Amino acid sequence: MIQIHGLTQQFSNGRGIFDVTFEVEKGEVFGFLGPNGAGKSTTIRHLMGYIKPQEGAAVIHGFNTWEQQEKARAKVGYLPGEISFMDGMNGLEFIQLMAGMQGRKDKKRRNELIERLQFEPKTPIRKMSKGMKQKVGIVVTFMHNPEVYILDEPTSGLDPLMQKVFIDLVLEEKAKGKTFLMSSHSFAEIERTCDRAAIIKDGRIVTVQNINDLQFMQRKIYEITLENKNDAERIQASNLIIEDINGNVVRIVVQGDYNKLIEELSKVNVTNINSVNQSLEDVFMNYYDAKETVK
Amino acid sequence: MNISLFRQMVKLNMKNFLCFGFGSALYVVLMTSLYPLFADNTEAVNELIKIVPETMKNALGFDSLTSYGGFISAEYFGLFFPIILGVFSVMTATQLLAHLVDKGSMAYLLSTKVSRSQIAFTQGFVLISGLLLIVSLTFLGGIAAGEALIDEQYSLEFYTFFQINFVGFLLFFVVGGYSFLVSSLCNDEKTSLGTAGALTFIFYGLDMAGKISPDFEWLRNITPFSLYNPSEIASGDAEIFVPSLILFGMGCFTYAAAVVVFKHRNLPL
Repeated sequence: MIQIHGLTQQFSNGRGIFDVTFEVEKGEVFGFLGPNGAGKSTTIRHLMGYIKPQEGAAVIHGFNTWEQQEKARAKVGYLPGEISFMDGMNGLEFIQLMAGMQGRKDKKRRNELIERLQFEPKTPIRKMSKGMKQKVGIVVTFMHNPEVYILDEPTSGLDPLMQKVFIDLVLEEKAKGKTFLMSSHSFAEIERTCDRAAIIKDGRIVTVQNINDLQFMQRKIYEITLENKNDAERIQASNLIIEDINGNVVRIVVQGDYNKLIEELSKVNVTNINSVNQSLEDVFMNYYDAKETVK
Repeated sequence: MNISLFRQMVKLNMKNFLCFGFGSALYVVLMTSLYPLFADNTEAVNELIKIVPETMKNALGFDSLTSYGGFISAEYFGLFFPIILGVFSVMTATQLLAHLVDKGSMAYLLSTKVSRSQIAFTQGFVLISGLLLIVSLTFLGGIAAGEALIDEQYSLEFYTFFQINFVGFLLFFVVGGYSFLVSSLCNDEKTSLGTAGALTFIFYGLDMAGKISPDFEWLRNITPFSLYNPSEIASGDAEIFVPSLILFGMGCFTYAAAVVVFKHRNLPL
């Protein structure tokens, strides 16, 4: 459904994307992972036909996204990463404008989405919070029943409850055989919905993997509070990878081998387990490093 | 041309259109209401005009103050009308493309099957519609005020007044056109506003300079403003067919160029 081949765009400051290549199959939910500034949005901007590729090409539904951009866009639902609507309108007017441009007259789907996302569409846009604008954006993206969804950091600004609603929405559309490309800087955000994911770093694709494989590869840190110092010492004596010990609080690094962790922990008294939030680079640190030495 | 976009854009800009339109119309009415004062004191006014240097008279069109047509074309259409419509053209042209690109809202407009050319064309059409509305209101205001306030003997022929407005519209069709072209080239709203504003100011200034000094007469060849001579149209000395055709051609060219530029360039969205 989406083919990106050798896409290259170098900006004057030396950054950009280099030889980006991957494919998204029909009916697949594809994650596009990378830290901020890695080139996710630049790649997506090529898919929307905003920039002419210096080299390579992107194709959606058989149409080149630069040369036949309006045809490529016709079946795409796009949610930009930076939301900025036009001033002087309310949400409903904006939705109507977009519906008109999408050539969509049916209001059923639109109203259903507004109902689910629970917001007042007649609020003037300049008075909307970031989360509310994101909801308007989601309505606009989903209301015309597109074949392909391109979502740039879709859950930013949504509260956990609405993130859940959003994920349900994605899964429903996936069940209908729709294709998704979803960018994110957090693995946790996409692992619930995606089948596969590409990781991009400094403008280059580092890997394209199944989500299950990525889940296995990720490096997690657990902060475990033990009952006393003796227990902490016993853990230290085991062959778990200890990142840090502070009194009876131990930080343990786990990569795939959860059984070993459980085995060792069962020998001591645990009072609390906390998983530590990490950036994408930290989660896939080993992988990133390994890849670099190979180069 | 996309109807939904056009409708929403006109709705967004209507307040501006009406403000400028009624502002311009009100000014014509105001100036017209002043004319009887001049007409009753023609001699005194003529004495006064004699003091004014010849060159200034040319620039301000003072030599034709003795008739209503001469008065209104010199005092309004030669002076404030270009300023009001110039400001409007530069502002609105920037608002319709560069502003949306700069703010990023263009990303939404460009997320559907509507092509870039269609969007640029629609936005250009919004600008032209605005100009047309403003000039129409000015025209109607002038006609109404002329009927109500000016004695039959001084009054300006309907057709002549129409010509003054028509060529005036064409001039700002061109000013709007190059401003729109600038707007289509700019990623930054302020650059667009500054460039189009400076161009307009220079073109207006060149025309003025050329009128004031015979040495700089040639300057008038490089500005579209010299193709619009309301005073001469009022006195019946102007040939309007060729200038109108040139203005129309320049306008069409600049709008078309803007659409082509917008279609092919990289957008920072």
